[in-house]
Amino acid sequence: MVRTQTDPLGSDDYRKERLMIEIRGLSKSFVGQDGGRVEALRDVDLDVGENEFLTVLGPSGCGKTTLLKAIAGLIPWQDGDILIDGTPVRGPGADRSMVFQNFALLPWATVLDNVAFGLRMRGVGRAEREERARSLIAMVGLSGFETKRPGELSGGMQQRVGIARALAVRPRVLLMDEPFGAVDEQTRRLLQEELLAIWEEHRLTVVFITHSMEEAVLLGDRVVLMSARPGRIAEIVPVPLQRPRSSDVSALERSGKYVEITAYLWDRLRDMHEEHRPATVAR
Amino acid sequence: MTAAITPRERRRTSGFRAGPQPEGRPSLWRRIADASLPYQLLTFAVFAAAWELYAREWGGLLIPTFIETVEATAELLGSAELWQAMYVSNQALVLGFGIAVVVGVPSGIVLGRFRTLERFADVYLNILLVTPMAAIIPLLVMSVGFGLTSRVILVTIFSIVMVVVNSRAGVRQVDPSLIEMARSFGASERQIWSRILLPGALPAIMTGIRLGVGRAVTGMVLVELLMVSTAMGGLILEYRGLFKAPLLYGTIVIILAEALLLISVARWCERRLTRWAQTTTARSA
Repeated sequence: MVRTQTDPLGSDDYRKERLMIEIRGLSKSFVGQDGGRVEALRDVDLDVGENEFLTVLGPSGCGKTTLLKAIAGLIPWQDGDILIDGTPVRGPGADRSMVFQNFALLPWATVLDNVAFGLRMRGVGRAEREERARSLIAMVGLSGFETKRPGELSGGMQQRVGIARALAVRPRVLLMDEPFGAVDEQTRRLLQEELLAIWEEHRLTVVFITHSMEEAVLLGDRVVLMSARPGRIAEIVPVPLQRPRSSDVSALERSGKYVEITAYLWDRLRDMHEEHRPATVAR
Repeated sequence: MTAAITPRERRRTSGFRAGPQPEGRPSLWRRIADASLPYQLLTFAVFAAAWELYAREWGGLLIPTFIETVEATAELLGSAELWQAMYVSNQALVLGFGIAVVVGVPSGIVLGRFRTLERFADVYLNILLVTPMAAIIPLLVMSVGFGLTSRVILVTIFSIVMVVVNSRAGVRQVDPSLIEMARSFGASERQIWSRILLPGALPAIMTGIRLGVGRAVTGMVLVELLMVSTAMGGLILEYRGLFKAPLLYGTIVIILAEALLLISVARWCERRLTRWAQTTTARSA
């Protein structure tokens, strides 16, 4: 359950462990609305260790969602490679699943059918997929809501369904695109704690996009700081806070290290915003 | 749901934004006041009374009183002639509208999914929508003949636009992130169609079918009136020629009743099939 090895202290430590995701020289651009080319990602190199919880933080438009979709195999890119456990990404795969910011639940389907959706797409038989879906529903605390539809649930409950659906396919890599961005502050804190608890118990590789410094530090082993125009990795900040963290989040948030890292991240982010301000005005 | 409630369960059942309300049965008065039928009956009674009074005071040969119309309707319903006419007319309705649905729904979905196709088709849809049908009917009848075929074609032309336009709109309003979600779980294009696009568009498709039924009935009567003069249209023409105003109005009442009945059936199906869409729209309002 609890990590046996020492706490991760930085990117170099992960190089020694088994790598789950390797990104080499990833570049992606597209034609913008004004007809010019927009560089969404430029020359991104990133390693993610097995069972690492990696958070990605950056100003809007820094390409963090593009990066996640590329790892998910949902979008094409121009240059570079993405390897999942040594295998190049050529499209969506059974080893990865995704949690979406707007939940992306089927409004006409019940909670049970929504959670079982990924299994159904992968051809898992009815009895097995419903059994697995039920156990996942229990895990995210929604037992008793199996026959409800998303419209009858609150935002927080809907995202629990989204998380259960992603975990039901037993992915090795969980890709989360600002999953708690659309829920209220209190619900978000509950969901963060529960996600930590689930991850501490079940261990899998997580790439978690967020625009919240607190969330990035609270959840991540490392925080990848991205800058915009072009989107690239500005810095990778290790988070040497002890695990497990789910048991006492409040104490963690009062600790000196937590405050220090959060403040540092904000300094860097503010610099990025300032860098871009004159440039945008000049245009 | 009594003593053994854990704090966690209580939080879920009674908490802030905690989902569905328990479904208590509202009182009888409440239900009567909430139903729309009593209000419809009331307005109808007012309408009938106004009609009766007007016809008695100023009515002539061509405006029967309300009571005369009701009597004529009852008389018609007892005559074999009417049922024969209904049978013939409805053949065209069923066939024509069936074609409209079978052809219209898939074409609407295809148009909604593939924008390039739509650029070609849009102008024809608009033509179908605005063409004065009365002008087409003589041409149609001349080229196809006075038989069932021309009536079926006309019913189809009349109703298919509603079905196509609404199916297309339905596919377009399917949240694109659902398609992305399905792809992320490895869905094939076929699975995206059957599991995302079709169910997502269903509410709009059902609306199209309901609106299409109304237009189909109009088309059915129109072609019989204007050109073919058989069946229900033939009856109308006959009673008009003989100045049998009550029977003329009675025939129209029966056509109206059929159209309203079909629309209610369509609406009922729509509600049954797409309950989820009503809950979400009611909530997001």
